Amino acid sequence: MATSVRSVLLRGLDVLPVDVEVDIATGQPGFFMVGLAGGSVREARERVRSAVRNSALPWPPQRARMTVNLAPAEARKDSGGLDLAIAVAICLDQAGAAAPPEAAFLGELSLDGAVRHVDGVLVAARGLARRGVRRLFVPAGDAAEAALVADLEVVACRTLQEVTGHLLEGLPMPSFTGGVADVAEAVAVDDLAEVHGQAAARRALEIAAAGGHHLLMTGPPGSGKTMLARCLPGILPPLTRDEAIDLAQVGSVLGELEPGRPLSARRPFRAPHHTISMAGLVGGGSGLARPGEVSRAHHGILFLDELAEFDPGSLQALRQPLEEGRVSITRSGGSVTYPARFMLVGATNPCPCGWEGDPVKACRCTPAAVDAYQRALSGPLLDRIDLQVRVSRAPLEALSEEPTGEGSSVVRERVAAARGRQLQRQGHLNAALTRAELRRLTGIRPEARRALERWSSARGLTARGFQRAWRVARTVADLQASDEIFEAHVLEALGYRVADAAAA
Amino acid sequence: MPRPPEPEDLRARGRWPPPPGRRVAIVGSRRPSPYGEAVAERLAADLAATGVIVVSGLALGVDAAAHEGALAAGGCTIAVLGTGVDIVYPRANADLAARILAAGGALVSQFPDGTPPQRANFPRRNWAIAALSDVVVVVEAAEGSGALITAEAALALDREVMAVPGSVFSPLSVGCHQLLRDGAGLVQNARDVLAALGAQQEVLDDPLKPPASLGLEAPAGGRDGLLQHLSDALMTEPGTLARKLGLPLPEIMSRLTALEMAGAVGRRGAGYVRLAPGGISRAGVG
Ligand SMILES: [Zn+2]
Repeated sequence: MATSVRSVLLRGLDVLPVDVEVDIATGQPGFFMVGLAGGSVREARERVRSAVRNSALPWPPQRARMTVNLAPAEARKDSGGLDLAIAVAICLDQAGAAAPPEAAFLGELSLDGAVRHVDGVLVAARGLARRGVRRLFVPAGDAAEAALVADLEVVACRTLQEVTGHLLEGLPMPSFTGGVADVAEAVAVDDLAEVHGQAAARRALEIAAAGGHHLLMTGPPGSGKTMLARCLPGILPPLTRDEAIDLAQVGSVLGELEPGRPLSARRPFRAPHHTISMAGLVGGGSGLARPGEVSRAHHGILFLDELAEFDPGSLQALRQPLEEGRVSITRSGGSVTYPARFMLVGATNPCPCGWEGDPVKACRCTPAAVDAYQRALSGPLLDRIDLQVRVSRAPLEALSEEPTGEGSSVVRERVAAARGRQLQRQGHLNAALTRAELRRLTGIRPEARRALERWSSARGLTARGFQRAWRVARTVADLQASDEIFEAHVLEALGYRVADAAAA
Repeated sequence: MPRPPEPEDLRARGRWPPPPGRRVAIVGSRRPSPYGEAVAERLAADLAATGVIVVSGLALGVDAAAHEGALAAGGCTIAVLGTGVDIVYPRANADLAARILAAGGALVSQFPDGTPPQRANFPRRNWAIAALSDVVVVVEAAEGSGALITAEAALALDREVMAVPGSVFSPLSVGCHQLLRDGAGLVQNARDVLAALGAQQEVLDDPLKPPASLGLEAPAGGRDGLLQHLSDALMTEPGTLARKLGLPLPEIMSRLTALEMAGAVGRRGAGYVRLAPGGISRAGVG
């Protein structure tokens, strides 16, 4: 009679439940593992054997033939996380005990029998809870992560001996009932109160934050583009609990969650360097793809400084996440999908030398070089960026003279109110308004619509560009708590459409 | 010092040699401010109206504005090319080149037919511009600009060099101001140039009169107070306007867009400049 214990494999943010069956029979002696076991699972034999023996637990006799079957057989398994389930199955079989109902086991074993951390416990716990598992045994260090999931009893395992003692003799173990963890408060580091001047860029940030619009800032070196971008998390509302859990799943897969404090309300701000590989940016790696920067920036900001320096193929690969809010990657181990709904904030020089348009320093580039530089940015990416602003280098005297303006907390309140209006009206932010929704929901006044059309025909906008300008105008109106889009809202919005102006 | 070509050394299309008369070169930045472009165009028009032949290099910016101004006044203008005379570069000026020929002007070059644009040839072309002119007027030239090579050549060839002043804040005026400091003649209007040519004595009797013929009319966009705070050479940022006028930034932004749509202002860097009315619109953006 074979003993069967449940465990799990990760498939991106999805799970594949695995049944570990142990069968001990007479015949050719040995310890066999069947069911497409990958390298790390084949190594499990050694870890499990040592862990069981070093825990002073009974191991099948030398002459026995032991077969561990991993089902479903067709799925390739390459994870140390099955160790605990394999060892528990063997021990239960030796004791002639049945597997506990509705329970699953996840954890890697060290040779001395300690239960070690595995990545992705939160994802595993969510997936298993959805499939009816009610008790989940996980490494003690990962218990807080698993406990984020509601309706799940999480048992924190330190050693294999402790687990078998609990299962076979009813000894107590620490356990948590899920869904209670606190969300760590967001602490903004960079505050708009520290930004001098740059009134138009500040306003563009506010509009971008309010409507969830992607933003491109163009300006010479030292114009504070990075500082402005870093202020964005502080003017966005903190993550909701659901958003924080979504994001924590990505951190869980990567094994990057803070132990004991897995949830944070802080909006992620990711600023990869332009030398990053495509795999690093959108996800990848061998076997099953791991999440990239786009997923680490989920519900937050992806800041790409020196946008023109990024590999064009990588920028091209941003199209799917920009359009769908998620990214699918196929590797040898299979295809996985990770969430990637972020605000893209790009920064770039206006020309190769950086000084085009500067009031003081002269640009040394030929007009053709400036054109080519700006054209390299256009195309698929620029077409998806609702807001584009120019920022200037603040002259030295302005640093003391120019007022610093409002702090982030004041702006954040307006942003939160504008977002509230959007969610109430259409259930999502303005950046995601479809053409039909624009017509049906946005209440544009006739003169405002005419202004949009005049601009659109003068600049030769595509239908797509027309809708982008319309969405931004909708957000400007929402910031003023206006149900209708007035002409002034449209005209202001067009002021942050530098790419349209350049197209004229 | 390169030997300047004699007119008979030049390959030409159009009327060549040119009709008799004084010749004035108007040269400057390929990317002038709206101010520089307006000055070049108006100066060329006023000079051409008195029969002066306007010489320039058919480049973008000041050169093109000078040719356009001369054509607008029904004048004759000569484009000195840095390529073979059978090649128009940049292509954007192909239509302008055709109109120069149609108006009885000429395209000339010291380079053999078929010579493509080559960096090394343009300084030599600038010498030819100076050699063909009695006076060289520089309208907006940044430090190290090609227009300054033309001015240098003019000095070496004993031609009169003159320059148009600009804002002391504008990088595009640095070269002109250097020339003025070093003794170049000051150009406020066509009369200043005519005086240097020693012609038209009668127009010189009131040198202190405002330079009416260079005056720009009130730009389109009506009496919007915003325009008074905008310069035609230097960009002003929306935030600065908001502070000066004591108005909220969103209002400033929407009024600027309204003026932009009316053609009264254009974007430049992170700010806006006032545009000349009815001017050629290349300065409108960028
Ligand atoms: Zn440059």
